[in-house]
Amino acid sequence: MSVLEVSGGISKPIAPGPKPAASPGRAALRQYLYSLSGIAGAVILLLLVAMTLFGPLIYHVDPLDIVAAPFTPPGSDALLGTDYLGRDVLAGIVYGGKATLTVGAIAALITIVIGVTVGTISGYFGGAADTALVKVIEFFQILPPLLFAMVLVTLFGQTLTTITIAIGAVSWPSAARLTRAEFLRLRGLDYVKSSRAAGATDRHVMLRVILPNALPPIIIAATLAIGVAILFESGLSFLGLGDPNTMSWGLMIGQNRNYVLDGWWTVVFPGTAIFLAVLAISLVGDGFNDAINPRLRRRI
Amino acid sequence: MAPVLSVESLNVGLRATNGVTIPVLENLSFSVDQGKTIALVGESGCGKSMTALAIMRLLPEAFVVSSGQIMLDGEDVLAAQMPRLRSLRGNRMSMIFQEPMTALNPLYTVGDQIAEVLRLHRGLGRKDAAEQTLALLKAVQIPAAAERINAYPHQMSGGMRQRVMIAMALACKPKLLIADEPTTALDVTVQAQIFDLLSRLQDQTETAIVLITHDLGAVSELADDVAVLYAGRCIERGRAHEVIERPRHPYTRGLMACVPHLRLGGEASGAPADLDEIPGMVPPLGERDAACAFLPRCVFADEICRSQLQPPLQADDGGHCVSCWRWKEVA
Repeated sequence: MSVLEVSGGISKPIAPGPKPAASPGRAALRQYLYSLSGIAGAVILLLLVAMTLFGPLIYHVDPLDIVAAPFTPPGSDALLGTDYLGRDVLAGIVYGGKATLTVGAIAALITIVIGVTVGTISGYFGGAADTALVKVIEFFQILPPLLFAMVLVTLFGQTLTTITIAIGAVSWPSAARLTRAEFLRLRGLDYVKSSRAAGATDRHVMLRVILPNALPPIIIAATLAIGVAILFESGLSFLGLGDPNTMSWGLMIGQNRNYVLDGWWTVVFPGTAIFLAVLAISLVGDGFNDAINPRLRRRI
Repeated sequence: MAPVLSVESLNVGLRATNGVTIPVLENLSFSVDQGKTIALVGESGCGKSMTALAIMRLLPEAFVVSSGQIMLDGEDVLAAQMPRLRSLRGNRMSMIFQEPMTALNPLYTVGDQIAEVLRLHRGLGRKDAAEQTLALLKAVQIPAAAERINAYPHQMSGGMRQRVMIAMALACKPKLLIADEPTTALDVTVQAQIFDLLSRLQDQTETAIVLITHDLGAVSELADDVAVLYAGRCIERGRAHEVIERPRHPYTRGLMACVPHLRLGGEASGAPADLDEIPGMVPPLGERDAACAFLPRCVFADEICRSQLQPPLQADDGGHCVSCWRWKEVA
């Protein structure tokens, strides 16, 4: 048989056309699993969450107890060493994650909920509502955030709840501006007009047409907000406005910052924990963003 | 029988920041009967799209209807309250936009977007809506409709997307369809298919169509009536074949002369003739005289044109109206 001879006549068309409907959720999950960085982020985040949830059940050392001499280097006495008071660093990381991650998540949630609500109303309706809301946003934005948060914490007490609310209260204006800008950009697009021409209600246009298209930058902002909130909490702790009765990664760094040359481990380990948490959350946010974008969805 | 849509002396203005209203559309009147098509033609910037948006009550901020009446199937559109207006839009009147590439939401499948309209106005359940959506996709001749129903807009070509737009617009069998340059963004063969599809669907649904277009070829094929707009004023109106064969207004004549003609056989020899053009530009908003708006560009302009206001639309016995002082001498 000659090499050039084609067997079997005309080949079948290769393109099979789109598959029958996979649910959007499942398609998004499949897309998410394609991204290596997204998986890495999810794994790190799950490990950190697992550590803060189940660590205390395994590792019974009180993070506020003095267990050895101050600045004991990592080794047999304390696995990750002790801090300037002789408290166990590993215990601080295991027990402190709960406060840090909770403050980060809830403060970011407050930021995004207030920010997106204000930005949506302001950007969609425009006119007088917009003018008024922008004034409010600007009022909050000209306050120095750290100072304003300090005032709130001083007034209402140094508890984790107050700190979380204070962080949310100073962070939402940037989320609001971002959402407003996205709405201003999107509301003039043809598919928004087309949806209004089809008789959609304002609510529908806002929440089902514009908001999903505005999500990518909002998700990025949300993941950054978690990171900022974690760092903000550390900053407040450093200034002595943290909750002294609750161990957190920020508190560890804040309290040991002056002694970084005497015992690097007192700062590096909690710092690494914060770094990993913020990185993991960013990666998950990126992966999620790609997953919900149908343009990037692979057709298999 | 009363017309499906009648627009009576519609005036639309742009409200400037200093409180002055700059006229955008002046004294526009036309009507269209069930199953008929009226074409609005004219250069860019002469108010065609504004007319469409005014009918849908979707004018951008700062644009206002200053006077006039828009009746849809006997109902005053301009007086309608918001909830009523929403139930008119998409249900009794709908609109196809110019850019099929951007007129569909990139995040939802085309099936979802069509079904949404049906669920909104017909209150259909998920399953019924999906069934009707499939039928609609077949009606607009989308190949492999059963698979395409789950496609996202970016997976479709411009022509396919425009078909989806048409399916969406006709989903609730509206009385009136406004097609705002539905084929401008498409290539010529697809344009012909879309026009063909529109006229076939019109035969089935008896929908009245307001066709906004630059394409005079499409006008002669699809439209029953034509209104020629210039600088926000209607300057000629009549039966499509009348206007195209015997244009009366110098501007309409100019437009017709600008259409390139394909020359074949013996005619094709020799250098191609230059395309005609109408010198000058449409006067911008706020610089429109009370005199005939076409005056500065008109080769027939005369003392009478300069000394008088914009001439009224004068109708002859056949209903062919023209707004020109000298049309009898010109034509």
